[in-house]
Amino acid sequence: MRNPLADVPIPVLDDLIESDHLRSIVVGTVGTLGLLAVLGSSFPDSVAGDIAGIVFSTSTAASTARLAAPIVLAGLGGIFAEKSGVINIGLEGLLIISAFVSVYVASVVGIGNAILGVPAIWVGFLAGIVASTALAGVFGVVCIEFKADQIIAGLAVWLIALGLAPFMSTVFYGGVNTPNLGARVGWRYFAVMVVVATIVSWWALNRTAFGKHLRAAGENPRALDTVGVSVSRVRHTGVLLSGVLSGVGGSALALSIGQFVGSGETMVQGKGFIAIVAYLFGNYNPVGTLGAGILFAGLDATQIRLQQLGYAVPDTLVQTIPYVVVILVLALVGRTRLPAAAGDHYETEE
Amino acid sequence: MNPAVHLDGITKRFPGVVANDDVDLVVEQGNVHALLGENGAGKTTLMNVLYGLYGPTDGTVVVDGTPRSFDSPRDAIDAGIGMIHQHFMLVDPMTVWENVVLGNEPRTWGGLRVDEAAARGAVVELSERYGFDVDPDARIADVSVGVQQRVEILKTLYRGAEVLIMDEPTAVLTPQEVEELYGVFDELTEQGKTIIFISHKLGEALSAADEITVLRDGLNVGTVASDAVTREQLAEMMVGREVLIDPATTPRKPGERVLEVTDLRVEDDRGVEAVSGVSLELRAGEVFGVAGVDGNGQLQLAEAITGMRNPAKGTVSYRGDPMADRTRREHIERGMAFIPEDRQERGLVMPYDLTGNAILGSQHDPEFARNGRIDWGAANDHAASIIESYDVRPPNAGTTAESLSGGNQQKFIVGREFERDPDLVVATHPTRGVDVGSTEFIHDRLLELRAEGKAVLLISSKLDEVQGLSDRLAVIHEGRFTGVVDPATVTEEEIGLLMAGESVDGESVSGAAVHDAVSGAGDVAVETDLDADDDSGTDDGDPLTDDGDPVTAGDDRTRNEEVDT
Repeated sequence: MRNPLADVPIPVLDDLIESDHLRSIVVGTVGTLGLLAVLGSSFPDSVAGDIAGIVFSTSTAASTARLAAPIVLAGLGGIFAEKSGVINIGLEGLLIISAFVSVYVASVVGIGNAILGVPAIWVGFLAGIVASTALAGVFGVVCIEFKADQIIAGLAVWLIALGLAPFMSTVFYGGVNTPNLGARVGWRYFAVMVVVATIVSWWALNRTAFGKHLRAAGENPRALDTVGVSVSRVRHTGVLLSGVLSGVGGSALALSIGQFVGSGETMVQGKGFIAIVAYLFGNYNPVGTLGAGILFAGLDATQIRLQQLGYAVPDTLVQTIPYVVVILVLALVGRTRLPAAAGDHYETEE
Repeated sequence: MNPAVHLDGITKRFPGVVANDDVDLVVEQGNVHALLGENGAGKTTLMNVLYGLYGPTDGTVVVDGTPRSFDSPRDAIDAGIGMIHQHFMLVDPMTVWENVVLGNEPRTWGGLRVDEAAARGAVVELSERYGFDVDPDARIADVSVGVQQRVEILKTLYRGAEVLIMDEPTAVLTPQEVEELYGVFDELTEQGKTIIFISHKLGEALSAADEITVLRDGLNVGTVASDAVTREQLAEMMVGREVLIDPATTPRKPGERVLEVTDLRVEDDRGVEAVSGVSLELRAGEVFGVAGVDGNGQLQLAEAITGMRNPAKGTVSYRGDPMADRTRREHIERGMAFIPEDRQERGLVMPYDLTGNAILGSQHDPEFARNGRIDWGAANDHAASIIESYDVRPPNAGTTAESLSGGNQQKFIVGREFERDPDLVVATHPTRGVDVGSTEFIHDRLLELRAEGKAVLLISSKLDEVQGLSDRLAVIHEGRFTGVVDPATVTEEEIGLLMAGESVDGESVSGAAVHDAVSGAGDVAVETDLDADDDSGTDDGDPLTDDGDPVTAGDDRTRNEEVDT
């Protein structure tokens, strides 16, 4: 059965959104929001009115952007890794490590100080990216050179970061939570980064030779090898990019409130796993990943605001939505197709 | 004019093996040159040396008069040599043009962006110049195998290849696609390209090549012009001795009844009846052959008899016992050996070593199992004895099944099954995809079993094989036997009619209901007969042709062989 939503034309994004699956998501989301706007403005005192008020308020937008940044950025990173044939389920760990390191380095430099003219908070931001990229690099070496199981190695990345970040915080600050820096980066910076990263990622994947090589490495690495392109180099690059993008996401998450929270699942709270869900939902398309990330973050932000208005929405239930959605999408739509060689090690014949 | 390629005294040693021993090869420009030999003769190694995948231990590679030393395929590509592997190196979800330019994309924007227009243009231009009918925007996954092969050719041409090496190019093609490929050869050589193709099919080398070089055990046996040599001569060059065309059969001495099948009906996986009432009786010391076009119920018949599929109706009794409710393990333990149709899927566990494969089906046998544990020492000895008696190469029980050539895999399976000391052997396509020498070897072993008083049920789509080995021959069509004939007196024409579902006097055996299917099948037979004539050229009905042919292709190809008269 053909999904009717897939036929609705989308004026600006038509070129970017080739798959029916994505069109349905975009059209469905826009349609729901439109309906909500109409209902909300017609019946301002109803629940719909409340929800509309929340959804269309700037504070919800800010909080959505803040929550969406790590999901979308890590999701984009995950696309690069997985398209190259390396399934990186350690995105969560990359977010955690960069969130901690960004705050730590910013506090070491000292708010108000600058290095080479770069303010401390942005030095922390860059340090977070470096930390995440380094950890991703280790993951890449273990998986690509030493042929470790990607899933196990990815879990190790998560567990290492989950243990290491709060531990370091305890060592340096005497508690799993760092003190607040007393400074933060406005959400608008990160919103811009997310949009730019999405567009650049889409372009890199679809229009550059590197994008084609990445795809070939994940689909049929031998084909790439026989034309003289190093499969492991392409895969390392893909994994490192997942580190860079996750690093931006993790640093953005921590620096947007100026603190690292290390209790429980840490402040990252499974956003790295939701990122995987987001790019699967978006069928490896950066634009779709952006949409899915905003959708999941928006639900979370709306839920938080509803709590504040006195509606007893169980947050744990809302947090399961992305996972339920992805199971439904995978089961019903079935369009998400893993790269053929994802998860496989590659050895040249020579 | 310099020869396009001159390999001068190439020797390639691997630890313990000399794959090429002082091989000379001269390939003239604009020629199609076939490199013919059995599995393991060193053809592919020699071409890998030319393509830069291996450095030669000794000898020089001269391309167009210039001595070259290749460290990698890159160097070979730069020298104008392209290789098309047997398994295509294409990325399925990408388009034709993306695959052609992969790794050498034309770029704009300072090298950042792939210049799609230029890439597509180059692909269209090449495709038109050589008369290929290829849509540059089609996805690889959506085009036929023949088109995929042309995309591979385009890939090498795009990289400036003057010499194209093709490894077993017809192995995956239908007969029509093979004809088209020969057309492509003509087109390429007309424009000055040189083609070297690796093959172990005599007919293919004779019809497509200008010159044929035969390799055997790593040595160049000789280079001959294809119009100055016969099949027999080529076969002898390949094998190193005269090949027995007719296996020496002795008079049959039928003993007690081993297998009795009564009104057997079997459904296939989709629940469609594949075997529709087959009855047969097989005695010790007898080979019962089943001939037919592939897909007429042979697979299901073999599965029902060997206990791998439950019959819908009818009985199978083995040495007087009904077998329907018995497990596969009981079938094996009672001495029923099975050579499956798909050796890589059902005959072997590809990543296991030969020791592990040797005890498949015997893992409960007290000879190899003690208290639920495998006695690997005994298993290893068993594997070694199979390897020795059945001449499996390389002779190393520690190698994995997947690293063996098809012929050696098959010899190993045959060895394992025969070493069970079976009373009944069910052999389905035992020489499919097997080279001439191994085929002869397997045939000899089957006849030895028969002489020892075992029963053999031989199912094959190679007419010469079933006709040459069987004492009685049944022809199957649409799940039923259209006739049981004496293979010594029946003509191939008569068998052809039976395979098409008609009785020998030309009438449909199964009445009007199947008449449409019957005439349809008859058309196929006539048509492929013509094809076969085109292919075979000199002589008719030579079993070597079929023996040398691996039947890796689809049904059409198989049909072609069966009706080759």
